[in-house]
Amino acid sequence: MTEQLYTVASDSETTGEDKSQMSFPDVAIGIDIGTSNCSVAVWTGHQVELLKNTRNQKGMRSYVMFKDDSLSAGVTGGATREHGHEERDILSGSAIFNMKRLIGRMDTDEVVQASKSLPFLVQTLGIGVRPFIAALVNNMWRSTTPEEVLAIFLLELKALVEMHLKHPVRNAVLTIPVAFSRFQQTRIERACAMAGLHVLRLMPEPTAIALLYAQQQQQLLHDNMGSGIEKIALIFNMGAGYCDAAVAATAGGVSQIRALSGSTVGGEDILQNVMRHLMPDFDSLYAGQTMDRIKSIGLLRMATQDAIHKLATQEHVEINVDLGAGHKVSKILDRGEFEKVNQSIFEKCEGIIKQCLADAKLTPEDINDVILVGGCSRIPKIRSVVLGLCKKDDSYSGIDPLEAAVSGAALEGAIASGVSDPSGSLDLLTIQATPMNLGIRADGGNFAAIIPRNTAVPARRDMLFTTTHDNQTEALIAVYEGEGNQAEDNHLLGYFKITGIPAAAKGTVEINVCMDIDAGNVLRVFAGVVKPQGQAVPPFIEVRMPTLDDGHGWCGQALAKMYGSTLDLATIPKKLHP
Amino acid sequence: MISAPSVGIAFAPKPPPAAAVGSYRARKVRCAVAVAPAPAPAGTLYDVLGLRAGATVREIKAAYRRLARERHPDVAASAGADDFVRLHDAYATLSDPDSRARYDRDVVAVASMARGAHHRTMAAPAAAPRWYGRRPRRTWETDQCW
Repeated sequence: MTEQLYTVASDSETTGEDKSQMSFPDVAIGIDIGTSNCSVAVWTGHQVELLKNTRNQKGMRSYVMFKDDSLSAGVTGGATREHGHEERDILSGSAIFNMKRLIGRMDTDEVVQASKSLPFLVQTLGIGVRPFIAALVNNMWRSTTPEEVLAIFLLELKALVEMHLKHPVRNAVLTIPVAFSRFQQTRIERACAMAGLHVLRLMPEPTAIALLYAQQQQQLLHDNMGSGIEKIALIFNMGAGYCDAAVAATAGGVSQIRALSGSTVGGEDILQNVMRHLMPDFDSLYAGQTMDRIKSIGLLRMATQDAIHKLATQEHVEINVDLGAGHKVSKILDRGEFEKVNQSIFEKCEGIIKQCLADAKLTPEDINDVILVGGCSRIPKIRSVVLGLCKKDDSYSGIDPLEAAVSGAALEGAIASGVSDPSGSLDLLTIQATPMNLGIRADGGNFAAIIPRNTAVPARRDMLFTTTHDNQTEALIAVYEGEGNQAEDNHLLGYFKITGIPAAAKGTVEINVCMDIDAGNVLRVFAGVVKPQGQAVPPFIEVRMPTLDDGHGWCGQALAKMYGSTLDLATIPKKLHP
Repeated sequence: MISAPSVGIAFAPKPPPAAAVGSYRARKVRCAVAVAPAPAPAGTLYDVLGLRAGATVREIKAAYRRLARERHPDVAASAGADDFVRLHDAYATLSDPDSRARYDRDVVAVASMARGAHHRTMAAPAAAPRWYGRRPRRTWETDQCW
């Protein structure tokens, strides 16, 4: 194989005005890598500005083209060539896209299974390992990983930013879906490190939008510090890969996230549902990853995307596409049929909003503004579901659905970098919240949540546990993250053992497990014996989570098989108040 | 980024979980009273927010937002996470009507204990304030039962 080549935009390819930016050299940039589109923004000293690529685009496609041994990402869209990449090129099997959907997932994941119908190669074994992903290069499938693809993409994005700012860029704030596990977050950070970027903050997308909303309220009302009317906004974000909801209480420039909820459904799922509806027997007609199949998938995909876009403004749309080899799709799709095919997705969206309102202990009447962002917020059914649940006729109109997340990320980058603005535009603070429960396995296979969902960040909580066997001298601390009541229903983040527990009757030794999340969202677990009954206290153990790099599916099973219940801990009932 | 706290220090200034805030404050107040008897309890959650015990919900929220701007690591680079964690724990307890009522009852109980303890001549051993704080409290509860 020939050596990999990186195509990076150079100054000679710059179009438009050559503006010199007044910006701070060490301020963090904001990056929003969506499943289908990405954007980048930076604080310019007075406001947030979205940067444009060499084709004068603010929103750039999220993909990397591997054709002809030269790599080029969607940042420039192949601007170094005579013609940019067309949609048919991206769907030819030579480009990897949907990286954000695939990163950090195991091959047992239903999202990975659904990705096998994409033009590039996705193979699974179904045993809880990473999926095999490959792109078509010179008629050969060449393997890669979502992290690698994302790193190539980020490298080109970084080059674009440095071209604009005229100085090196080091720190970045990235937006992530609420449903991202810590395991996936470490993958994002690794891809950024491969591209030379340090992740200052990983921000859930609704949180970034809440920060932008707080800034707008600050400017509108000219509130005094520490006072003013509290406004509560429900933020719903649905892109191509994920949908998120949040409830944020804003007053005086302080935005407090009261509840977060997310799901792994998005526009890609809607697209796949409609494709299957238009051609139910596609898989039987095209077996294996042949060239005919790839071409047909691309044609059907483009036609379906076009139809879905038109349904946002039309009641019905006509679809005519010739897939070749005598297969044709000729059909009129109306809005009711579209909504029926995607009924389960709309129900999931409804579910996360209801959970958000319940977690925040609010009724729909308490909501002042409903903010709809993301590409799918244009779907009429989505709008009616969200606005119906919140009993509102209209959504908040001051925020651009596609630029809100990256603008909020750039604001957070400026604030976290210590930038101060005399005009007060950066007198803002976002008090983030944890999206998932964090805890350990205890009482057999149960999940004991130590830091519950929606706890404000930074956070520190501890819980007391005790031994389950007489003369037990060791305990296994298995750290999990998720919403299930059983430990194995959640993501295993890591594990370690406490040794040197004084031999005593079961239930008499107290073991403290403390979890600490700092402002950079780094999770540390401290554990140790706190009541040794006069004997020497062994040192506490501090572990930064997650420690698992791969295979967290079967690792939990292996731990249970190896140790059973010999190293289990039990929770201590909370003391009743007088 | 915040440097990892050393293990020895990590737990010493650790604020207790919200559910145990009452007993933690009770122990601390009990020890303080034993050393220097005072008519009112000191170091309450209201003091963390800079408020008096009868503050309204609106005042609690405003104080929380004002102090968060000074203590959150995002805006106060020199501050560690401890300050904000302590502030948020106080806010979380006092902004919820149920936990606030529970905390207020504990404060009243502590005040009663303080008045009762004033008449005792037993000196508090400074070396083990945590241990000492539990026994008298239990005795007091036993007295209440009778």
